[in-house]
Amino acid sequence: MAALCRGSQRWKRIHCFHVFKRKFTGKHDYDLVVIGGGSGGLACSKEAAQLGQKVAVLDYVEPSAKGTKWGLGGTCVNVGCIPKKLMHQAALLGTAVKDAQKYGWQISGTVSHDWSTMAEAVQNYVKSLNWGHRVQLQDKKVTYLNLKGTLVDKHTIRGLSKAGKETILTAKNIVLATGGRPKYPSNVPGAVEHGITSDDIFWLKKSPGKTLVVGASYVALECAGFLTGIGLNTTVMVRSIALRGFDQQMAGLVTDYMESYGTRFEWKSVPTRVERLSSGALKVTWTNTQTGCEHSDTFDSVLWAVGRSPETKALGLDKVGVQISKETGKVIVGADESSSVPNIYAFGDIGEGRPELTPTAIKAGRLLAHRLAGRSSELMNYDNVATTVFTPLEYGCVGLSEVEAERRHGKDGIEVYHAFYKPLEFTVSQRDSSQCYIKVICEREGNQKILGLHFLGPNAGEVLQGFSLALQCGATYPQLTRTVGIHPTSAEELMKLSSSLVPAE
Amino acid sequence: MRRARKPSQSKLKKEIREMAHRLLIRRVWTLSVKDIRCLPSSAATISSSSFSTSLQSPPSRVSLLSPPRTLPRTLHQISRREVSFNVQDNEDFTERVINSQLPVLVDFHAQWCGPCKILGPRLEKAIAKQKGRVAMAKVDIDEHTDLAIEYGVSAVPTVIAMRGGDVVDHFVGIKDDDELDSFVSKVIGQ
Repeated sequence: MAALCRGSQRWKRIHCFHVFKRKFTGKHDYDLVVIGGGSGGLACSKEAAQLGQKVAVLDYVEPSAKGTKWGLGGTCVNVGCIPKKLMHQAALLGTAVKDAQKYGWQISGTVSHDWSTMAEAVQNYVKSLNWGHRVQLQDKKVTYLNLKGTLVDKHTIRGLSKAGKETILTAKNIVLATGGRPKYPSNVPGAVEHGITSDDIFWLKKSPGKTLVVGASYVALECAGFLTGIGLNTTVMVRSIALRGFDQQMAGLVTDYMESYGTRFEWKSVPTRVERLSSGALKVTWTNTQTGCEHSDTFDSVLWAVGRSPETKALGLDKVGVQISKETGKVIVGADESSSVPNIYAFGDIGEGRPELTPTAIKAGRLLAHRLAGRSSELMNYDNVATTVFTPLEYGCVGLSEVEAERRHGKDGIEVYHAFYKPLEFTVSQRDSSQCYIKVICEREGNQKILGLHFLGPNAGEVLQGFSLALQCGATYPQLTRTVGIHPTSAEELMKLSSSLVPAE
Repeated sequence: MRRARKPSQSKLKKEIREMAHRLLIRRVWTLSVKDIRCLPSSAATISSSSFSTSLQSPPSRVSLLSPPRTLPRTLHQISRREVSFNVQDNEDFTERVINSQLPVLVDFHAQWCGPCKILGPRLEKAIAKQKGRVAMAKVDIDEHTDLAIEYGVSAVPTVIAMRGGDVVDHFVGIKDDDELDSFVSKVIGQ
């Protein structure tokens, strides 16, 4: 505390100088400086520029522990959504090729997958997006600076280039949208030297080979899913539960499908060390926390997917007085994305309590730009945001999980309609559909509003989007029963639920 | 990725004017830098210690503008008169494109660009037909993003034609062999 007081006195002197300078020049360098050129940062800066503000965006990628780095666009474009979905598609196509023979396709010889071909194609596409973003910033007259930004005071930012050159910028408003990076486990010897994270997997030039994925977040399961799908020996190591934060019944079905699909699971296990053998392979030792037994196995790669931490440590937030959560390290924000310092805002993955999703960051960024330009007072609505986990069998959901709905409305306050179904496409290809399942949770009283909708099956993301609109409009169970399904689809099963009229136990 | 629309005539002219303006500034800066360095008495001591700007020009240029030198680089310069080359960095661009004696076509391309892979060989063919009267500089826009942005490139392939350091023409997208031949002829001034 004392240090902070002293610090603020020092900054007061510099601040006075800046005030003097500002009076002399009449204004700041920029109306808005955005630190972070990801989904949120780019959307906010482009929107603000379009509204007539003078905007600069600072984007800088600190290389991963393995040295991987990438261009403009943030996590989603470079090491998240985009490459993930493309590799997921590669895996699905592998399954489709297997199914194809049952549909009459004559495929001679074995079909195998080449990682390098896929990786190059995916990486090339990502690079085209990096370029596209640069061009867009140029077109929209947003100044782009490849500098690592730190707050000096509430109107001043220090930008550091890769070569160590310093640039000082002043801004009327500052927006922090620096996102997050994958965590490494802190107590596993060999974790950093020998393991990789999602920052690295999409940029590998050579196949990761036999892989151990540690973690059971959607990142872990999606990666393990496509690695299995392209034919690699893949193991997932789960400490406690899978897909924390999601409906746990659905999470169980997701992992059941993955196990039947060929992914190995080591449940209730934690790695204790990683060593490199003389052969070059990695030996991982782990403990099964239920039996207490120690096991080990060799792998070609170890992928840590044990959570993400916000990029707030190097921003100089404590100097300026921007409050962060002690538990998560994320910036504590109000409903209008404001921080504890009046002209500094934060949103996207670094906002405390915010969903870590691209579409919410983009929308929040645009609305923030409108508010900063004084054009509107509309706040971002974070409710009923639909999302999809792109595991081999996709899981899409919008609204509340069953447990959360029970917590809010009481067990007797809700009605759950559910059904297993078989997608038509699975019939001829004789695929197992034991986990294809739908669940709709409604209020029991009143107009029987739909509280949550969960769909496990092919193309879950495409299926869910329309239903998320329905929830946004406050759709009710009677309205669902009055809607006719499209036949033959998997989505229509949601309408067929209504005719069953059998609530879950 | 959405391609930029083909710019209108007036927008093209405006872009060429802006490009020419930027190039003029670059050339004046380069010349003034060279003047400072071309002090006869200290000719022998000029080393590779550099100005930190990207407009640095090597001390030994075979041109009418600088006094003749016999530093090793000069010889290297003469022998390195390839007709088609990949631009290495900003200095290389200044030296081999802006300050080139020959007219130069600059081919802005990218690894991920399919049409670029079609246009590239066609350009090589058109250049080869001219038997050394025109050169081609290839710029990978992922490696030299700032340079590409500076020249107003948005879609690829974009080809700009430079003569005596000035932009004289440009086009975006694929052209067939005949169109390329006439484009190149125009650039040379036939």
